[in-house]
Amino acid sequence: MNEDPSDDRRDDAPRQITGRAQELSKWETEVRRGGLGLAVLAILWPERLYGLEILRRLDSQAGMTIPEGTIYPLLSRMKAEGMVDSAWVEADAGHPRKYYSLTDPGRQRVREMAQSWRAFAQGLERLLAPMEGDFR
Amino acid sequence: MSDAGMAHLDCYLDQVRRYLKPLPKSEIDEIIAELRSHVLDKLGGQQTPNQVEAAIAALGSPREVARFNLTERVNAEVEEDRSPLTVLRGIVRLAGLSLYGAFAGLVSFAGYGIAASFLITAAVKPFARSNAGLWRTREDGDSYSLALGVMSHARAHQGHELLGWWIIPIGVAVGLILGWLTWRFGLFSVRLMRRSARRGRV
Repeated sequence: MNEDPSDDRRDDAPRQITGRAQELSKWETEVRRGGLGLAVLAILWPERLYGLEILRRLDSQAGMTIPEGTIYPLLSRMKAEGMVDSAWVEADAGHPRKYYSLTDPGRQRVREMAQSWRAFAQGLERLLAPMEGDFR
Repeated sequence: MSDAGMAHLDCYLDQVRRYLKPLPKSEIDEIIAELRSHVLDKLGGQQTPNQVEAAIAALGSPREVARFNLTERVNAEVEEDRSPLTVLRGIVRLAGLSLYGAFAGLVSFAGYGIAASFLITAAVKPFARSNAGLWRTREDGDSYSLALGVMSHARAHQGHELLGWWIIPIGVAVGLILGWLTWRFGLFSVRLMRRSARRGRV
């Protein structure tokens, strides 16, 4: 029986597309993970915030949705490193909230991280510039 | 919040607390208070058990939440002080979290135990030259076993000493190398378990 080999290729096509989508998703996760520390510190730049607010701003302002249970260990590590400080505050909500704020070393660190990130992003932008027309 | 909703939240937090047991009590209390505050903020005025369930599910299972907290804290401690004792303490704290944690704990204890045995035997040899060393002893039938350390005189006479005075340089070298390898393995394991817990965070 003669089978058209192109049938196999057609069957493989969706699998390859799924594989490429997974690779892209993995790469996006890595990039976001790299920027998560900077994003959290940057969100705390203008004012002190509590955990859920930080999560909501990460989502709405940076498109970063992270498992909720992971934000507190990250904040705890930043506190141990002296980047942020925390204080329990009796809130109007009827229960105490733990607010996080940037320390002076934390502000210095976020400035340095932002400079480094911008230099990196500008370099990438220059590399991507020749592809500009292809995106339209 | 309704009594049923509060009971559900308390039950969840008790489970998290159990997994966090290796941490100091003050740290556990702080983590639990923050998780409780998070769930109450998430609920706002909503109080049904289903809404409580959804808020808890978004945090992750008790085991996952404990894993995030423990691996992050242990890793921070180990990065600050890399002494073998701190690394071993960190490994012990993580041992109950996963199969790999238990494996790492077992390997660390075995590694440091064997390393210490070699070093102690080498140190004792000058003072107990006839019964300190590495011995091959005959067991039942044709089988043999190796024994390292200080043997009773009766057992030493039954066995055959393999290294003689060479146990001193060899014991020191093997003890130090094995201790160093075990320490490196411990550091690697702590970092690996943290990476594994962080995977999929963003």
